[in-house]
Amino acid sequence: MNLRRYVVLRLLQLVPVTLVVIIINFLLVHLAPGDVSIILAGDTADPAYLAAIRERYGLDRPFLEQLWRYLVQVGSGDLGLSFRSREPVFAEIMSRVPATLLLVGTSLGLSVIIGTVIGTWIARRPGSTTDSVVSALAVGLFSVPVFWLGLMLVLFFAVQLQLFPAMGMSSVDGPREGPGRILDILHHMVLPVLALMTVSVGQYVRLARSAVAEVMGESYITTVRAIGFSDRTIMMHYALRNALLPVVTVLGLQLGLVLTGAVLTETVFSWPGLGRLIYDAILARDTPVIMGAFIAMSVTVAFASLVTDLVYAFLDPRVAL
Amino acid sequence: MVPALLALSRRAAFLISAAIVVVTVIVAVTAPWLPLPDPNGMEAAPYEPPGPGHWLGTDNYGRDVLARLAWGAQLALIVALVSSAIASVIGVILGSISGYFGGTVDALLSRTIDVFLLIPSFFLVLLIVALFGSRLEFTMLAIALTTWPRSARIMRAQVLSLKSRVYVQAARAAGASHGRTLVRHIIPNGLAPIITDATILMGLAVLTEAGLSFLGLGDQNAVSWGRMIFDGQRQLRIAPWMSIFPGIALLLLVASFNLLGDGLNEALNPQLRRLAARATPKPPMPVGEARPATPGPILDVSNLRMSYRLDSGQIMAVDGVSFRLQQGESLGVVGESGCGKSSLGAAILQVMAPNATTVAGDVDLGGIPILRDGRRVVSHDREMIADLRWTTAAMIFQSAMNALNPVIPVGAQLTEAYRLHRPGASHKEALARAAAVFDLIGVPRERLGSYPHELSGGMRQRVMIALSLLHEPKLVIADEPTTALDVLIQDQILGELDTLKRQMGLSLILISHDMGAVAETCERVAVMYAGEIVEMAPTETVFRSPQHPYTKALLAALPTVSGPCRVPAGLPGEPFSAGETTPGCRFAPRCSVAQDLCRSSRPPRVAVGAGHEALCHFPAGSAA
Ligand code: SF4
Repeated sequence: MNLRRYVVLRLLQLVPVTLVVIIINFLLVHLAPGDVSIILAGDTADPAYLAAIRERYGLDRPFLEQLWRYLVQVGSGDLGLSFRSREPVFAEIMSRVPATLLLVGTSLGLSVIIGTVIGTWIARRPGSTTDSVVSALAVGLFSVPVFWLGLMLVLFFAVQLQLFPAMGMSSVDGPREGPGRILDILHHMVLPVLALMTVSVGQYVRLARSAVAEVMGESYITTVRAIGFSDRTIMMHYALRNALLPVVTVLGLQLGLVLTGAVLTETVFSWPGLGRLIYDAILARDTPVIMGAFIAMSVTVAFASLVTDLVYAFLDPRVAL
Repeated sequence: MVPALLALSRRAAFLISAAIVVVTVIVAVTAPWLPLPDPNGMEAAPYEPPGPGHWLGTDNYGRDVLARLAWGAQLALIVALVSSAIASVIGVILGSISGYFGGTVDALLSRTIDVFLLIPSFFLVLLIVALFGSRLEFTMLAIALTTWPRSARIMRAQVLSLKSRVYVQAARAAGASHGRTLVRHIIPNGLAPIITDATILMGLAVLTEAGLSFLGLGDQNAVSWGRMIFDGQRQLRIAPWMSIFPGIALLLLVASFNLLGDGLNEALNPQLRRLAARATPKPPMPVGEARPATPGPILDVSNLRMSYRLDSGQIMAVDGVSFRLQQGESLGVVGESGCGKSSLGAAILQVMAPNATTVAGDVDLGGIPILRDGRRVVSHDREMIADLRWTTAAMIFQSAMNALNPVIPVGAQLTEAYRLHRPGASHKEALARAAAVFDLIGVPRERLGSYPHELSGGMRQRVMIALSLLHEPKLVIADEPTTALDVLIQDQILGELDTLKRQMGLSLILISHDMGAVAETCERVAVMYAGEIVEMAPTETVFRSPQHPYTKALLAALPTVSGPCRVPAGLPGEPFSAGETTPGCRFAPRCSVAQDLCRSSRPPRVAVGAGHEALCHFPAGSAA
């Protein structure tokens, strides 16, 4: 199978996930207590807007026709209108993506690197005291409620030490452009990134540890030991390389958890990303935005799993494309 | 199970977390009767810091934080139990149906499971709660409805492996219906990992509920730790205790659930424990200046003992093995699996498993001492064996067992090994050498760029042999080099080994369970049983007049038309398990000529001919 066909095939596998998610959305809205048009338009909507929404979703049409309309709408990228701003949800979501991407990307990158290094390091001697202690600590880390950790960081670094800003992505009176702005954003990023990174780093510590420990038990490691490679070289050059495969796989699968953490973190730090959008939507009961966010997050996670598969196929010669 | 539990109790983390969960349960159950203020009572002054009146302070309404914490424990546990129970039940039902019936049902269900696994559950819960209202029942149901695919996937795998078991087949044959078979025979036996995962689900459920409450979607009428943090957030500057304590409670409970799950998982999964098992090697033995090699045998092993550390204790895999090998000589080491023959090979090059260590014995390789009394000999901080590996002694592993790295092309594996011991060599030289050894063993040069999985079994084994010959070693230890290959290829490879041995003047140790293979290739044979060499003699002698009853049994199991044959199948009785102890002969329970003496005293090592020894009271049944 050539690469292009593989990619296309995998892309096609996104379809069922997306369909299921859209149908769940649709069913939930219809099952929920209350009138569908009010759920979608908000209970403060004027009659004209209500009528417009009814028309838009074909709410007076038969059930299946409504579903079909909804599928077609969402499929063409129309996630409905936010009833607070009366703006398309899709545009609202897209405008928040960069901030979230910055936060999630940075903390994910850092936690994967740091987690893999620590995990590899403790895997040298599985079962040792260091290993047991660090492994237990890693479990402790991903058991931390990220929003609480955020608050504690604010309390300590922003309130007590006044080292870092407690909220937002940039200072109101900060520089608007150039390196000054970048520094300002970096300064604001420290605490949210730290919070999000801390709770996800534990996963990668454990993952890398078990992957490396497992690889170290493989016959080909015995072979290179017999050849005379030093323990260090074996660890860094062979074991780590083979152990990265499972790390990559899980990276994609865990994106959902990371996004969850991001929403909660953004809420704590008033980070102007998707999480904040969702939080504001919850406060205002702005259902279309929550629905849109659910679809967007699901598609992102499914897409990430696809990318992971591709990276895996690229890293592991045994996967024939 | 008992050693597993023992290992478990040794883990402090497991005990501490169990204790935390128990305390939380007690607090949650007894909350109404504890001498605590009403969690919703607003009698006290607001914002009172922790002190004698209110140990953990009061919140913005003057409610006691400690009391709310205790009541919050109740809610956390209810959420944990109910959500994970519902999720597990759904998972078990769908997972077992999918695994048991297979076919279209399975295809459909497992696709559904896959799809649901991809849906980020928190956002779905969020949507459900936002649409249906933040009643606790909805929250718990929503959590369960988004987490069941985990249990379903585990259960499906369990059922798939269980349904072919004998007792399940027997139940079906006896006329049990599908439903009954599933409920009575399959599900109960597959539940262990579900329960393990349920503890992890509990932690997840508690965190999810807390996250929802923190976003303001928690049940307004319930006292929830997440809700407390939500309230405390706005008072962070004036009353930090409002958010600090519920967070610590959450962290402790969730971490405990996760650690419990981890501990259970490890106890149920012997493979994880094996990874953790590790033996402490004896301290190295410094010798100051390394002496130049003394002329003599290429390998001199004397009274070598190697033990494995397992949960159940120590077992001695190699128990007092001594032999010498002259330059150019070949020795076959045969015995059933588990007799210690492979451990012997690993011990010589000191590449044992992490849970193995040499506890006694001396080894000299190429006239250089590498092991004294089980301790590695070091000179100037460098182990003597380090400079001898692959240059003086190399190993051929069974390539079917992943002995070559699957993600590196075979050529690169050869050039890396070449340059390791020739630091000055250029890549080109290394490549030329790799090509040369490929020629030697008959692997086409184009194969240098291939990955192991692209080669046939025979080719892979030849690559492994080529790898061992890179540095023209004096001694090659081949550990089951032809096992798992088909007979024709086996013969070819053994023949090639034999030719190489002659051409290069190699000394060879061939470790095999196959008497036939050894007979073709080796001048001398050592038969191992339960960690000991029970008979050693020139090959011809062993085949013509075996003296030890075990050797005789091995030979009797060989088909008359000489050809390879799996020996253990032909032998009656269970092999001696290395954990047993006996004052007498280890072979006695299976020996056809055993006498009382055999069971009460260790047999002596007796010379029964020229270069022929046996470990037996009655060699060749002489006393009978
Ligand atoms: S010592 Fe006795 S039991 Fe052991 S092998 Fe010899 S005859 Fe058999």
